[in-house]
Amino acid sequence: MTAASSKGWKRRDFLAGATLLAVAAATPVDAATVLRKGGDRLPTPAIRALMKDVAQLVIPRTKTAGAGDVGAGDFVLLALAHGLEGAHRPLTGEAATTYKLFLRADGTLRHADWLQAELNRRAGTRFIALPLAKRRAVLVALDTEAFAARDHPWKAIKNLILTGYYTSEIGGSKELNYELVPGRFDPDLPLKPTDRAFSSDWSAVDFG
Amino acid sequence: MDFDAIVVGSGITGGWAAKELTQAGLKVLMIERGRDIRHAQDYTTEMKAPWEMPFRGEGDADLFARDYPVQALNRHFTEFTQNHFVNDAQNPYAKGEDTAFTWFRSYQLGGRSLTWGRQCYRWSDYDFGANKRDGHGTDWPIRYADIAPWYDKVESFIGVSGAKEGLTQLPDGQFQPPMALNAVEQHVRKEILSRWPERCLTVGRTANMTEAKPDEGRAACQYRSICARGCSFGAYFSTQSSTLPAAQKTGRLTVITDAVVEALDYDPATRRITGVRYVDTKTKRRRTVTSRIVFLNAGAFNSVQILLNSTSAANPNGLANSSGVLGTHIMDHANTLSAVAIMPGFEGHTSFGNRPTGVVVARYRNMERMDGAGHTRGYSFQGGALQSTWTQGKRMAGIGEDYKATLQKPGPWRMVLVGFADCVPRATNRLTLDRSKTDANGLPLLKVDFAFGKEEHAALAQAKADAAEMLTAAGGKVIMGLDRPGPGGTAIHEMGGARMGADPATSVLNKWSQAHDVPNLFVTDGAQMSSSACQNPSLTYMALTARACDAAVRMLREGKI
Repeated sequence: MTAASSKGWKRRDFLAGATLLAVAAATPVDAATVLRKGGDRLPTPAIRALMKDVAQLVIPRTKTAGAGDVGAGDFVLLALAHGLEGAHRPLTGEAATTYKLFLRADGTLRHADWLQAELNRRAGTRFIALPLAKRRAVLVALDTEAFAARDHPWKAIKNLILTGYYTSEIGGSKELNYELVPGRFDPDLPLKPTDRAFSSDWSAVDFG
Repeated sequence: MDFDAIVVGSGITGGWAAKELTQAGLKVLMIERGRDIRHAQDYTTEMKAPWEMPFRGEGDADLFARDYPVQALNRHFTEFTQNHFVNDAQNPYAKGEDTAFTWFRSYQLGGRSLTWGRQCYRWSDYDFGANKRDGHGTDWPIRYADIAPWYDKVESFIGVSGAKEGLTQLPDGQFQPPMALNAVEQHVRKEILSRWPERCLTVGRTANMTEAKPDEGRAACQYRSICARGCSFGAYFSTQSSTLPAAQKTGRLTVITDAVVEALDYDPATRRITGVRYVDTKTKRRRTVTSRIVFLNAGAFNSVQILLNSTSAANPNGLANSSGVLGTHIMDHANTLSAVAIMPGFEGHTSFGNRPTGVVVARYRNMERMDGAGHTRGYSFQGGALQSTWTQGKRMAGIGEDYKATLQKPGPWRMVLVGFADCVPRATNRLTLDRSKTDANGLPLLKVDFAFGKEEHAALAQAKADAAEMLTAAGGKVIMGLDRPGPGGTAIHEMGGARMGADPATSVLNKWSQAHDVPNLFVTDGAQMSSSACQNPSLTYMALTARACDAAVRMLREGKI
């Protein structure tokens, strides 16, 4: 896999981010470090399609769009490439053994590659080729196991799906409420069944 | 003389010094080491939504690990606010072998006034009398009565909202109307009071205004709680929103940015500072400016750095250091998450808007009765109750429509109490210069040696037990609590190093924040503190600054300096 064969990946998305970052931080950003870590290949179309599908399984389309629909899959890949959710903390001990096939030289996990292999292993075939109900069942099993465990690589991926979705315009302001300038504080209101949570309740986002 | 006064630093106290001195008729130069930030127009992320940010407000974790490993630990540090914090890689400091110290800094016009927590609490005579009472440190040369009128002045000008509670240990001030407690907090306040009448939970006294100050172009708080991005409403106190425009209005203020002060020149014949040397951080050119008086407001540690670096034949150990205590007795509040509880019974309640302050439980230990378990000072709690939002999903198994539906609703209420314990002043906790290492401007690195002792550990252990007991009594289910302090610096209340005292042999500053050794030098930021109390200190720094400015102007007029 070379960069030349990964045209499907929207480099400009990453580079646009890099440019903005360079402005914000007033430091030059090396495009290569923005694109990938430690000699990683660029995400393949297959990985991007898988991540989009998984995102959509976690947060499906209802009255509002799902996480895959709003690009949370690509956000997960961007975020993993930049170490969000502790994605670039080297694994040690038992975890390093368990996931040794997917470790970079620095001991960090190639989350997306692991997820692809893990889902295919559980599916007994290519996960992405399974019908919806079976894909969902495979992912439910993985999710249940992961949240029963102390540390599990799925948690970082799932958390980034949530971040990708609820900080998107649709997830943040249509599925939830978003109010940048509330203008007042009402300390005690009755909670109605139709009330939606606020994505702009920053303390709740941090500590909730 | 180029100026009547030079103020080094433009943060919370530098802004006050500039305002007070210019309003008294002095021609003032303010020197700021960081870049210019213009009010409102330079708050570049203020109105952005997460989806307009490259990393959705979370930021680039690899970049943070590389360039902001310390600053990123600040809860106000996000992708929205990273431009209001220093780049750690470019601004190194040294630490002693056994020292863990997180030094949170904002080098820019306005300094940390842009990013501060805005909590404003008066100190009482329990605090000004603390060193005398238990023998740690040196006695303060002032008491509450000396500072009370200056608290009045500062609160009235900056705008502090809060509730009067009539507490001796947390005196009432000139408050704007308080922000409200939410349903859970009201309940917890009532339950705590009914069982422990001496324990008062009240809404945070905060420099976020509930009433506008139209004459100063400042609006009331909009309940966004994104203050550290900068607030173009001017609704919280910052240099930019408040003291800087007041100083500029006099026509007597000059501001230089991107200029780091290297040292103060001293004339042993007159015992006066004769010049302030600074480095233009862009050109690296060195310059000297002169004035009749100098106010150091560079932030506690950086003011000490300047004095330690101002060596000469007359002052081989640094300026204003004939006592040898310069740099010693630094402090920071011992700080930890004392308790988190789920608060059932409020499922039918919610709130609207983001209140930019939490609550405070005023100190209640070691007042009339010495009831601290293994410690002689105080602790208080800050925190609040909040209702979970989508991030609760990060702790939950689940996928699909039901999961999405769950996350669409406000989640359970939780209440958090964070303990802040008084930090005993110790000679071993100190700042020195590491002359073997220099920064990009050629200045020696500041070295921090710091450790909490048994008193702080004992206080936080008792705080943890108390916090759990209070939240349990209020019907909460405590899910966690800690009794170990975070590393020094965690509370962002680093202070001391140029302590105030009556005796020139054991202190750096006199009761007017004036150097015993150098009559035309005033240090009015956190460096002057002789004890830490357990309250947030900025209000006290501001009041002491206003008081020192008044004294300095009086001394100038009387020809004493």
